[in-house]
Amino acid sequence: MSALPIEARGLRKAYRSGLKGRTVLALDGLDLDVRPGEMFGLLGPNGAGKTTTVKILLGLTRATSGEARLFGIPVGNPESRRRVGYLPEGHRFPGYLTARETLAIFGRMSGVDGPALRSRIEPLLDRVGLASWRDVRVKKFSKGMTQRLGLAAALVHDPQVLLLDEPTDGVDPVGRREIRDLLREEADRGRAILVNSHLLSEIERTCDRVAVLRAGRIAAQGTIAELTAQTTRYRMAVSPIDDALLASLRETGSEVTRVNGHLELSARDLVQLNAAVDRVRARGALLEELSPLRASLEDVFVDLIAPASVAGAGPKEPS
Amino acid sequence: MRALAASVEEVFREAAARWTLVAYFTLSTIFILLFATAVNLDIVNGALAGAKLFGQSVEIGRSSVDIDRLVLGFESGFSGFLYLVGTFLALFATAHLVPRLQEKGTIDLYLSRPVGRVPLLLSRYTAGLLLAAANLLYLIGSLWLIIVWKTHVVHGRFFLAGLSILFTIATLLAFAFLVGVVTSSTGVSLMATYAIFFFSAILAAHSRISAALSKDWAAKLVEALYWIFPKTAQLGRATVAHVAGDQAFRGIGDMNLLAVYGSTAIFGIATLMLACWLFSRKDF
Repeated sequence: MSALPIEARGLRKAYRSGLKGRTVLALDGLDLDVRPGEMFGLLGPNGAGKTTTVKILLGLTRATSGEARLFGIPVGNPESRRRVGYLPEGHRFPGYLTARETLAIFGRMSGVDGPALRSRIEPLLDRVGLASWRDVRVKKFSKGMTQRLGLAAALVHDPQVLLLDEPTDGVDPVGRREIRDLLREEADRGRAILVNSHLLSEIERTCDRVAVLRAGRIAAQGTIAELTAQTTRYRMAVSPIDDALLASLRETGSEVTRVNGHLELSARDLVQLNAAVDRVRARGALLEELSPLRASLEDVFVDLIAPASVAGAGPKEPS
Repeated sequence: MRALAASVEEVFREAAARWTLVAYFTLSTIFILLFATAVNLDIVNGALAGAKLFGQSVEIGRSSVDIDRLVLGFESGFSGFLYLVGTFLALFATAHLVPRLQEKGTIDLYLSRPVGRVPLLLSRYTAGLLLAAANLLYLIGSLWLIIVWKTHVVHGRFFLAGLSILFTIATLLAFAFLVGVVTSSTGVSLMATYAIFFFSAILAAHSRISAALSKDWAAKLVEALYWIFPKTAQLGRATVAHVAGDQAFRGIGDMNLLAVYGSTAIFGIATLMLACWLFSRKDF
């Protein structure tokens, strides 16, 4: 069986801060798997451990304990980064280089030879929308253009894994869509993509799976559908809706409200839900639709983070 | 190797873009042109019969001046000047290499590539030395050619000055890298390295300083510091002596060249190794 593109087990990172050497836990036993062709979103409030996780995966920071591997190679080994493309947040490319020179330098630093680079750079600049800016110095670029260049630099060596920190930061709406499409294409080509972002709507639109970090731990993990499904609330479209039907449904113990011509009802389990359906049929009403109500990812995120934010969802001192 | 070559190239591009390289070579070129155009010598039978500086005749006395000795005197004197100026300029042009690398938003771009931290740091160190070496070769090589053209006197020893100066730069640049890794500050790196240069020069008088101290431990400390730090004063004298030849070496007979170069090399290697170790352990 081939090794997973990204694999982390029990990652723990403690930082010492201040003159007294107070220890702060940034990560507390994090487990993570990202599969080929998967777009994985890492969410969390500031200080939850998202950036620390990415930095450990890239060997920029050493884990206090636990282990992380990229394609089975421990992250401490520089060779683990040969198949990795990284877009850091707030990256600063040398302003004196042109877009083409930037890709050439960083491509060679990733081990790509001259002929391969020459054939790769032009199409890549075209792909990220910088073809007409290829010979302009980076210091003249806007934030959005720098972000596109960063994405091109992350892709220049045709990596199998992409680690992206706020990839659409500073990019206009059209550009965001282009970047989303580009990332989807990469995932469809089998690339494993880990996206670290505050933009929940972006994550919701692009990622296959999501993990929400809170105080260095995973508070929830799953597909977007799994995380946003509210299994206790349902949308029911029936006709006709009258007060007698509402009263009959309430007799089953469900909370029922009338919303814009349909009903929203709660059911503690499937038995109670089916009892409600029986009541609808018994009243001679026709059932048109029955579906679980979904929350937005933002609702889920806030629900997960809000209770802890009072007590501190960020880094914590080890117990 | 490809990755490290890219790192070296990036340093040269940066030096060019930041005008460091241009300023470095422009200053050298101005000096070379001044020397080439301002000095005109009239040599008869291997002796200086007349000389003009900026078109004005220079009084050289009645006795004839041996041109070979004149050239040797100029070359050795210039080596001493270049030892000080060349070293300071080289450090000024390269001390930023580590602090800039460690800047937030920059270091991630480099360390996320499949390059080890120690090779990355050493590639920048090598690039800094190549930059200094290129300038020294340009300056010394050009002056040497002009001297040969104007006097027909060929002294290969002039190039030894370049090697000795490069050795000093290599040692001090290693220290600048160490300070750069620890502080991430170009200013602090430069100040600390220049301070080491002058402090070490003062320690050249370690025997007299020790003798003047009343406490035994203080005298021992001065002696220890002398042996730990690079021998910048002696290296300057040795640079001149390398060019001047045997006669000059007899004049500095009290100096053990092996000890001077050896202990300085140990300082340079130790600081570079420490810089590499700290850089490889650092969390970014």
